[in-house]
Amino acid sequence: MAYPYAHPRESRVLSKHFGERDAIGIDGWIERGGYKALEKALGSMSPDEVTEVVKGSGLRGRGGAGFPAGLKWSFMPKDDRPRYLTCNADESEPGTFKDREIMRWTPHQLLEGCIIAGYAIQAQHCYVYIRGEFVDIVRILNGAVAEAYERGYLGKNILGSGFDLELTVHLGAGAYIAGEETGLLNSLEGRRAEPRIKPPFPAQRGAFDMPTTVNNVETLASVPHIVLNGADWYRQWGTEKSPGTKLFSCCGHLQRRGNYEVPLDFNLKDLVYDLCGGPPEGRQLLAVIPGGSSVPIMKADEIDCEVSYEGIEAAGSMLGSGGVIAMDDSTCMLRAVRKMVEFYAHESCGQCTNCREGTAWLAKILQRIERGAGREEDIPLLLDISSNMVGKTICPLSDSAAVPVVSSIQKFEHEYMAHIRDNTCTAVG
Amino acid sequence: MEREKQALVTVTIDGMPVSVPEGTTILEAAERLGVVIPRYCYHPGLSAPAVCRMCLVEVEGAPKPAPSCDQQVQDRMIIHTASPEARKARRAAVEFLLVNHPLDCPICDAAGQCELQDYAFETGQLDTRNIEPKAVLGRGKVTPDIVYFADRCILCTRCVRFMDEVAQEPVLQVISRGHRGYIDTMTGELFEHPFSMNIVDVCPVGALVNEDFLFKARAWDLDQTASICPGCSQGCNIVLGTKENRVLRAKPRPNSEVNSFWMCDHGRKAVVNWGAGERVEVPMARQDGRLTAVDWARALDALTEALRGQPGGGARAIVSAGASNESLYTIRKLMDLVGFEGGQFRITTGREHVLRGFPKLALRKDRAPNGRGAGLLGFERADNVFEAAGQHTGVLFVLEDTLEGAPEDFGADAALFVYVGSMMSHAARVAHIVLPSPTFAEMEGTFTSFEGRVQRFDQALRPPGVARPIWLTTSVVLERLGGGPAFRSAGAAFASLAADFSEYDGLSYEGMGLRGAAIAGARPAAVP
Amino acid sequence: MSDALHAAVAGAQPSQRAEKNPDAPLFEGAYKDRFEQILGCYPNKRAALLPVLNMAQELRGWLSPETIKRVAELLELTPAYVRSVASFYTMFSPRPVGRHVIQVCAGIGCDLCGAEDVVEKLLEATGSRLGEMSKDGKYTVVEVECLGACGFPTVVQVNDRVFENVQAEDVEGLLKELD
Repeated sequence: MAYPYAHPRESRVLSKHFGERDAIGIDGWIERGGYKALEKALGSMSPDEVTEVVKGSGLRGRGGAGFPAGLKWSFMPKDDRPRYLTCNADESEPGTFKDREIMRWTPHQLLEGCIIAGYAIQAQHCYVYIRGEFVDIVRILNGAVAEAYERGYLGKNILGSGFDLELTVHLGAGAYIAGEETGLLNSLEGRRAEPRIKPPFPAQRGAFDMPTTVNNVETLASVPHIVLNGADWYRQWGTEKSPGTKLFSCCGHLQRRGNYEVPLDFNLKDLVYDLCGGPPEGRQLLAVIPGGSSVPIMKADEIDCEVSYEGIEAAGSMLGSGGVIAMDDSTCMLRAVRKMVEFYAHESCGQCTNCREGTAWLAKILQRIERGAGREEDIPLLLDISSNMVGKTICPLSDSAAVPVVSSIQKFEHEYMAHIRDNTCTAVG
Repeated sequence: MEREKQALVTVTIDGMPVSVPEGTTILEAAERLGVVIPRYCYHPGLSAPAVCRMCLVEVEGAPKPAPSCDQQVQDRMIIHTASPEARKARRAAVEFLLVNHPLDCPICDAAGQCELQDYAFETGQLDTRNIEPKAVLGRGKVTPDIVYFADRCILCTRCVRFMDEVAQEPVLQVISRGHRGYIDTMTGELFEHPFSMNIVDVCPVGALVNEDFLFKARAWDLDQTASICPGCSQGCNIVLGTKENRVLRAKPRPNSEVNSFWMCDHGRKAVVNWGAGERVEVPMARQDGRLTAVDWARALDALTEALRGQPGGGARAIVSAGASNESLYTIRKLMDLVGFEGGQFRITTGREHVLRGFPKLALRKDRAPNGRGAGLLGFERADNVFEAAGQHTGVLFVLEDTLEGAPEDFGADAALFVYVGSMMSHAARVAHIVLPSPTFAEMEGTFTSFEGRVQRFDQALRPPGVARPIWLTTSVVLERLGGGPAFRSAGAAFASLAADFSEYDGLSYEGMGLRGAAIAGARPAAVP
Repeated sequence: MSDALHAAVAGAQPSQRAEKNPDAPLFEGAYKDRFEQILGCYPNKRAALLPVLNMAQELRGWLSPETIKRVAELLELTPAYVRSVASFYTMFSPRPVGRHVIQVCAGIGCDLCGAEDVVEKLLEATGSRLGEMSKDGKYTVVEVECLGACGFPTVVQVNDRVFENVQAEDVEGLLKELD
């Protein structure tokens, strides 16, 4: 069963064993075919062959940016410097909780992916950077790591292959920006999680100034399946540009919130209405944010589109991390946007002027409008501040904060005007 | 010629082509053309974190504006620093920086030298669209001398990077994050560092201010004069900030050969306190057994007569390693007239502090600017300068040494005792002639640094009374006694010095400019 | 706390527990071993900073200036640097906290589903003010940004335990369960 709800229209690869307590431990995992892919990779494939299969599968990074994973691996220089693999388990994009469930139910699925990826890039050490708030999840992951070491899947001479890999679980301590890959690297190094200027990219100079690959949990968890079954098998799902299946975290005003795994050519509207059951009884869907809070808001009538990277983009938003936030007609859009902007203001690292000052300024204006002290000129002001925050900073957090403001004004300006002109809200009920 | 080996790339900035070595940043390339791109976090002596977003420029073909302090030029790049896009980006940065800025310029020490003011004016961002209440963070001390005004801070982190990269003691840090961020030390602690006040210099706004200077003067009321720090033998290039004939502050003047962009706290304090105390303001000559104020003509006549009489025993001197090359040289020439028997100087010493990130620069053990010059001009360093000079029965010169610690009967046996100084001295009461001289800030001249670099300082202050440089006044005596023509300028005195002392061969006062030049064959002296 | 943690996870233990002792000796006994294990996981000492701060907070409940200085000394960093890094991360507390640190998710997912009511109820039931320790020292209720479990609103984390699907009416029961 998928978690916590199953639906027959899902295509369950990653989530096949969600909800099965027995799958958490290593024995249960091996019974379910776990570590077969690792045996195959270490036993019969060269690191480059592993990279090629993943490249061929077209697997795209599931953290939000969607960069092809195999291609990223191939950027690692082949010199004799130490190399690192870093698993980004700092899942923090509001609306996204898929990595959490992967680690909660199938920690070995992730570890197997880490070890195979580590082999492909010939890493000597893998750091799993997990957000500190995942207290219950980290216990599960820690247990799995100890088991993997015990069974010889980690450490020296893994499965007699001569390949060594150490793995350390590294706990974050409360910083969204540590989920940005260079912020993560700084945090891993014991610094403030302030994003670095790129270039240099992590493959050239990453953790501890050494070549580093940073991959998201879901990306790495997909790797064993691809290695075991082949690139073509993976491409049976999805589209040419967006192959495979993906977990969608669905939250907000839905009858059945949870994680659903569907092929990337699935229909977003079906996901919302069919799999999640649509909005609660008696409510109308107002809007959907399809990829975590940093992607443009879609109106309810815009969601009849493919969930692929290109499909959602064509519909005016982005797949992002796959965090689907549904809002019904009881939602005060202004409040929702304010909450999202406050989040980014709270999480801005503060390095770049535009982001540090812009996020806080936007939040103050939205708070004032919500209080009933809005002015009509606040609308163009919000838009202009937003435009001054987009594409002007080291990392995209600043852009992320501007996105909900701009897209909500584009699509729900009447809600702003109701607050500004009449100090009323268009939310129903 | 390392640079010439590097490949050159040619770029166009605001329509002007420029060729620069590969690896040059857009900001540096623009400076070669005289195009100054506004910046806050960038400082030429520090790393470029590209966080203030002020130096964004438009690069043709690039999807978004580029931080010019970080982005390196590439061949055939076309860059616009003042296009509508670049200007909008700059205006945005200034507007954002002013959202929570208190705009307390009327009571801010940085007003008039504030880069936020400058660029707000330049971008036309004089009005704000912000009507929200501003954040209030307060203020606090970060060192015993430096106050931090958090509300004025734009978090450019220049101060943090100075302590981290240059001082290499990361004791000043950004605390908290985002719009709640501010700069601080460890909770409840002040830090002390021999180079701490550079953080005030690098602050582009009025967030870090020197308490000593607080409310003393507006920046635009200060006269600025190029000078050399007299605090130790390093010879830091500095600028004196003066008002109403007082030095209110010293700031470093960039010189990559000597002090980069920095100077130490000891030097700053030494400069400001230099010349404090009772000054010699008029010449005095002994008349009827008593020292009596006289005019320069009489004083010089008296000196001429006394030397012309050729008193036996030759000349001895106690000089100061704080005196300029020209002053020391003139005394030397006077001594030569009656036979140079030797002269000594003493130097107060203290702990050496090397600036780790720029180890060429240190607060040197020798806390005087011209010990090297005094040595080259034939004077010798001694722990006890009174032994040889105190019993001298011939001509005794004292130049700029206050004679502190001299025995009660010092100079009593001398046939002629001439005291040339800026400070009044108890021991000078038995002198035959007392000549008032200016401090380094009140005259121009040169010092020779510990490593043999000759550097010029300009006159910043009016000397008290009728004090005049010794090379100007007593060179008349030299002329009268056949010691060559009188010096009309410090440059003429230096030219004569360079002709007489081969170590200074090839140097000229004009030629060395304000950056100074090394003496012939100068090897950096071994650091003691 | 198990004395026999695997070195790979020695630095990754939840940092808030009910048992805290602000005066507990730092990095002694089993904690000294863990400290050494943590150092062994990284190529330099600085990288051990987050795990070590985490461990210090696990023991003492918060990061006092004295704790920060001790960590700085052990890792050969300046106290100001350690303070700067610690202050960047919201899970490190710069002030003492109650026995139960109750973090309520205020992210968009939970907010849409009534997180505000849960916070209100928690403050009322614990007799505390947001972010401040209750008078009896038992609770500190804070609103936190998205806890990454948006499908199960409202998410409430108490020390090292996570409660999902919490509604305002569940608050009394939740607090009882803590005692």
